[in-house]
Amino acid sequence: MFIRFVTADLIRNPRRTLSTAIGVLLGTGLFCAVLFFVDGLSASMTQRAVAPLPIDMQRILTEPVAGDLRLDLAVDPVGAVQAGAVVTVRMQLLNRGDVPANEVTLRSAPPQGFRFVAGSAMIDGRSLADKGNPFSKGQTQAGMNLGVLAAGQSVRLSYQMVADQAGDISPDRVAATFSTRESLFPVAANADERTDLSALAAQVMAVDNVAFASALMFADLAPEALGAGHPAAGPLRVFGFDADYTAQDATIRIVAGAQRPGAAMISAEAATALAVTIGDQVTVALPDGSIMVLPVSAILDLTAARSLFISRRGADFESFLYVPNAIVIDTARFSATILPAYARAATQRGERVKSPPVREIDIGIARDLLNAEPAVALIQTQAIAAEIAAIAGGQDFLIDNISNTLAVAREDANVAKRMFAALGLPGAMLAAMLSAYAGMVLGAAQRRERATLRIRGASRGNLLVMLALRVSAITAAGAVIGVGLGYLSASTVLGHETLARVTPGRLLLSGLLGAVVGLMATGSALYLTGRRSIDAEINQDRARLWGAAPVWRRYGLDVAALIGVGAVTLIVLARSGFEGTPGSVYVGQAVQLPLWLLVLPIGIWVAGCLFGGRLFAKVLERLPSGPMTLLDRPFALLFWRSIQRRSWALADVATLLGLIVALGTSLAVFTASYDAAKSADALYTLGSDIKITASPTHATDLGAFDLAAVSGSDGARTIPVIYGVQNIVLRSDRTTEVANLAAIDPVQFAAVAPLSDADFSTGSARLALGLLQDRPDTVLLSTDIAGFIKVTVGDTIHVLLGRNTAGQVEVPAEVVGLFERLPGFPEGADALMNLRHHAAMVPATTPAFVLMSLADRTPLALQQTVSRLQNDPSTAGMLQVQSRLTTLAKDQSSLAALNIGGLLTLDSGYVLAMGTVTMAIFVFGLLLQRRREYVTLKALGMASGTIRTFIAAEAGSAVVAGCLIGLPVGLGMAWYFINVLRPLFVLDPPFQIPLASLGAIILSVIAAAAIASYAASALVDRLRATELLRDD
Amino acid sequence: MTAPGTIRVRSLVVDFATQSGPLRALDCADLTIRAGTNLAIVGPSGCGKSTLLCMLAGLAQPSSGSVEIGGASLADLSEAARIALRKDSIGVVYQADNLLPFLTVTENIRLQLALCGAPADAAARTADLLRRLGIGDLGDRLPDQLSGGQRQRAAIVRAIIHRPAVILADEPTGALDTKNAAGVIDLLLEVQRLLGATLVIVTHDPALASRMQRRLTLRAGVVVQDSERADVH
Repeated sequence: MFIRFVTADLIRNPRRTLSTAIGVLLGTGLFCAVLFFVDGLSASMTQRAVAPLPIDMQRILTEPVAGDLRLDLAVDPVGAVQAGAVVTVRMQLLNRGDVPANEVTLRSAPPQGFRFVAGSAMIDGRSLADKGNPFSKGQTQAGMNLGVLAAGQSVRLSYQMVADQAGDISPDRVAATFSTRESLFPVAANADERTDLSALAAQVMAVDNVAFASALMFADLAPEALGAGHPAAGPLRVFGFDADYTAQDATIRIVAGAQRPGAAMISAEAATALAVTIGDQVTVALPDGSIMVLPVSAILDLTAARSLFISRRGADFESFLYVPNAIVIDTARFSATILPAYARAATQRGERVKSPPVREIDIGIARDLLNAEPAVALIQTQAIAAEIAAIAGGQDFLIDNISNTLAVAREDANVAKRMFAALGLPGAMLAAMLSAYAGMVLGAAQRRERATLRIRGASRGNLLVMLALRVSAITAAGAVIGVGLGYLSASTVLGHETLARVTPGRLLLSGLLGAVVGLMATGSALYLTGRRSIDAEINQDRARLWGAAPVWRRYGLDVAALIGVGAVTLIVLARSGFEGTPGSVYVGQAVQLPLWLLVLPIGIWVAGCLFGGRLFAKVLERLPSGPMTLLDRPFALLFWRSIQRRSWALADVATLLGLIVALGTSLAVFTASYDAAKSADALYTLGSDIKITASPTHATDLGAFDLAAVSGSDGARTIPVIYGVQNIVLRSDRTTEVANLAAIDPVQFAAVAPLSDADFSTGSARLALGLLQDRPDTVLLSTDIAGFIKVTVGDTIHVLLGRNTAGQVEVPAEVVGLFERLPGFPEGADALMNLRHHAAMVPATTPAFVLMSLADRTPLALQQTVSRLQNDPSTAGMLQVQSRLTTLAKDQSSLAALNIGGLLTLDSGYVLAMGTVTMAIFVFGLLLQRRREYVTLKALGMASGTIRTFIAAEAGSAVVAGCLIGLPVGLGMAWYFINVLRPLFVLDPPFQIPLASLGAIILSVIAAAAIASYAASALVDRLRATELLRDD
Repeated sequence: MTAPGTIRVRSLVVDFATQSGPLRALDCADLTIRAGTNLAIVGPSGCGKSTLLCMLAGLAQPSSGSVEIGGASLADLSEAARIALRKDSIGVVYQADNLLPFLTVTENIRLQLALCGAPADAAARTADLLRRLGIGDLGDRLPDQLSGGQRQRAAIVRAIIHRPAVILADEPTGALDTKNAAGVIDLLLEVQRLLGATLVIVTHDPALASRMQRRLTLRAGVVVQDSERADVH
C-alpha cells in the first residue's frame, strides 16, 4: 500500500520529484565524473610517464676492456657430507686474453655451516702461512691480490673447510669472485661463457614484448682526437651502432648522406669545425696512439639524441651531457679498432683508462602493449626485465629505466587519485547540502498532505516508511542517472578516446563507488530533513519546530571549527607541514603530498560559509526598523520587514550560495595559480620567453644577427649567453674542479630572465649582478661548487676559460657572490661571469644561445614571434627556437602535468548547475512556502509586477550575500589548496586571482537567480486569489 | 447614478474545466444587491457560495454574464482597473485571517492603506479602528502572537480600513468558537452600518444568516431562494 501511494505521489508530482532528485543527480554525477576523470587520467599515465624515456632498459656489459679471465671452481667431495667432514675447494684462474690483467684480486669464503681450515690455503701448490682465510680477510672480506696475470698465464688455488654439521656441498655453494684493475666489477666463478654483444641482442629480441634490442658502444676520446688535416677543438665521442639502432631512434637525424658500414657519420658541429663533407676523410687518434682513418658517409644532427648523450654515471645519471664533436661507426668496426686500442692502452704499466668504452644493449619495450595503469604496466615491465636478466646472467647488469619510471608513476597515480577525489569531495558535499535544502523546502510543502494522512490514521512510523520509500526511489533513480551524467561529463572533458582506454571493470567500480557515495550523502540528507519535518509536525509545535535552530547554530560549531582550522594551520606552518617532497620521474622520486591537510580547505569552506551565513542573519536582524514613511511604501515595507524578520530563511540560501561561490572561487584561483606556476616553471627552465640556439647544421654565429629586429616584435630584448657543460676549470687553494660557466651581460640578464632574490644566498639578485657589472673580472659561484672547492665570498680563485680550445686561458677572479640556481640552465650553471670580461679573455667564443623577452607576453604574440624567427628569409633553417609554451607542453611526465584544468571545467560545470538549481529551488520554494502570502498580496490589490520584484529582490539579496560570503571563503580555501599541493610545483606557486573567472562565476550565479526569478514570475501571474477562499 | 455599494449580477455562469469535461459551478440569474444592505449566501458545501463571492470580489472572471459594482462592469475593466476597484471599493474577510506573518498587526493594516494611496490620516485611522475593535494595544504584535479571534479582528480591520463600499466575507467565523464568532459578526454589522457599506456574507450558519436582511440560498450553483427579512420593509 505504501509503495503504491509513494509511487503515485512521485508520478503525480513530477516537478516536486524532479527538484528533489536533481541534488542527488548532480551530486552523484559530479562524484562519478571525478572518479571517471581520475580513471581516464590513470589510463594515460603510463604513456605519459614513459614518454620522456630515451631508453627503456639498458643491459650494460661489465666485461673488462682488457683481459679475458675465467675462474673455475670445484669441491671434493661433492654431495652429502657428515659433520666434521673436510671438503677441499680447488680454483683455477686463467687469463685467456692476449694482454695481461693487472691487480687481479680473488675472493672466496666457505658457505654457511662450514669453517675454513687454518693453514690449508695453497697457491700453485705452495702453502700459504696465513692462519685465517687469505681469500676473505677481516670484516671487509678483502680478497687476495694476485698481482699481474700475464696473457695465457693461470694460477691454481685451494683451501679446505670443515663441515660443522651434516649437509650437502656443491661448487655453486662456495662464494668465489675475481676482479682486476681493468674491471672492478666482480666476476663469479664458473660463470657462463660470455655472450657476444650482437648474439645477446638477438636473444633479448626474442623475449616477448621486446620491440627493439640493439648494441650501442661509445668511447670518449681526448680533445683534438678528431681531425681532417687539422684537429677539431674539444673532446670527441665515438659511437658504435648499426643501422637498426638509427632506424628506431628518431632523434638521431641524418641531415645528409646515409649510414654505411665501414664509414663514419659525423656530427654537424664536427663537420663544420673540420670543413669536411660527405666523401671526405677524417682521422681519429686512438688511446694507444694509433690513428684510424674513416670516410664520411653522412652528416648528423644529434642535438636531440638523448639516448646517446644521457649520462651513464651515477653522479649525474640521465643528465644530458652533449658533446658537439661526435662520429658514428658500425659496431663491427668499433669492436675491431676502438676496443683493442683501449685494451692496449689500459694494460700498459702505470696507465689506467679512466673512462673505458661503454658497451650496452639498448632495449625498447612494446609500449603500446603496456597496460594503461602504471601499477599493472610495472608488473609487466618487471616480468620482461626478469626474463632479460636471466639471459646469460652474471656477466653484466640491467638498468631497468622503464620499471623505475613506472614505479614512480604508480605512486604519482595513487597520489593523483587521492588528490582528485579530495578535490571532488566538496562537490559531493555540496550536493548533499543542496539535497537537504531541497528536502527542507519540499518538506514544508508536503505539510498539508501529511496532515491529511495523519487525519486518516497514518502513524509516525507509517509516515517514516513512506519517507524512506520516497527517498530510496528518488535517490536510486538520481544515482543511476547521475552515473550516466558523470560518464558523459567526464567523457566531454577528457574525450571519449581517453575513457575508452579504461577497463570496463574499473569504470564499473568507479560508477558503483560514485553511486554509493552520492546515494548515501544525498539520501541521508533528504531523509533526515524529512524526518525532522515529520517529527516536528507530530509534536504540533510549529513555532518551536521551524524556529528551532539547527545544532551547528545552537552550539556555535561553525565558530569552533573556524578556530580549530586556524589553530591547526598555525601548528602546520610552525612545523613546515605544507612542505611535502617534490617528485619527478627523472629522479625516481614520487611526489609526497600531505593529503590529510586537505581537511583544512574543506573545513574553512564549510565553517567559513556557515559563519558567513550566521553573520549575515545577525546583520539583517539588527537592521534599523526604518522610518515611519516606510509604512506608506508597500514594496519597501514588505522587503525590509521580510529580510529583517525572516533573516535565517535568507541566510540559509545565502550560505548555500556562499558554498557554491566559494567552491567555484577556490577552484578558479587554484587553477590560475597552478597554471601560472607551470608557466613560471617553464619560463625558469627556458630562461626567458624565447631561447634561440644555432642549428647544428649551420655554422651560425648567433652574435651576427640582430634577432630583436628579426623577431619583428616591439620591445623585444635579447641577450647572448656563453655557456657550456664542463667548459671551465675552477682552481682554488684547496682543489680543482671542472665546471659549467655561463657568461652574460648582467644588466640585460636581469632584464630578460626571471631572477629571484631567493636564488642568491648573498644578497639580492640586483646586488649580485650589479657587482658583476661594476667589477667585470669577478665571478659568482653556485653554493654547491663553492662548497666543493672550499671557497667563499671574497676569496680569489683561478678560472680556466675556453677549456679544451686553442684559446684556453686561466684568469684570476674574486668570488663576489653565491647563488643557489639560475634560470635558463637546466643542465646547471656553476659559475656566472660578465660576458664582456669573457669576450676579452677568450675572444673566439661564440654565444651558445640567445635569450629573448617580449613586451607582449601573450601566447599569440609569442607564437607569432617564434614563427617570424623561424621563417624570416635571413635566418630560415639556421635557428632552433624554443618558447616557454613549447617547454610547458613538453613536460608531461610529472604529476604537475595532470589535467587540473579539466577537473576545473568539470567542477565548474556542476557548480554552475548547482547554483542554478539552488536559486531555482529557493525561488520556487518561496512560491511553495509563501504562496498564500503572494495570493493575499494580490487580493489586497498589489500588482503582480510588484510581487515579482519582491521575489527578485529577496533572491538578489541572497545572491549578493552568497557572493560576499563565498568570495573571501573561496580565496581562503584556495590558499589552503595551493599550499597543500605545493610539492607539485618546482617553484613556489604564486597566488593568482583570476578576476575574469571570478566575474564569470558571479555573473553565472546572478544569471541563474535572474532566470529563476523570471521563471517564477510567470507562476506569480498564475496565482489565483480564489485560493484564499478555500479551507486551510 | 448607481450608488457605489450597489452590486448587480447578470446571468452569471461559471464553468470549471475537469478531466470529464466542463463542470458548471454557478448559474445565477439576474440579481441586485442594494447599496448599504446586508445579505447572507447560504447553501450546502460545494453549492457555489464561495464561487459567487469570488465573482463579486472580482477575484476571477466568469464564463459568461457580468458583475457590476457601483455601476462598473468588472468584465469590461482592465486588470489594472479591476485591481484599483478592488483596492478602493471592496474589502474581503476570509475564513483564515491571511495576515502576513512577518508584519505586525499595524503594518498589515497600513500595507492595505499604502496600497490605496496612503491617506494622511492613515496612522490615526488605524489606531482608531484597532481600538474600536478591541485590539488597540496589539498593533505591534506579529500575527503568531495573537489568538484566533484577535487575528480575525485584525483581518477585519484590514478589510475595512480603506472604507470600502462593499464588504465581502467568506465564512468569517468558520475557525472561531461561538463567542468569538458572535463578536465578529457584531463587528461586521456595526462596521457596515457605520460605513454605510454593502455586506455580503457566505455562511453555513443559519443563526448568522437569520441576522442578515436578505438571504440567498444556492443549490448546485443555482439560486433556489431569495428572501428578505420581514422587518427590513
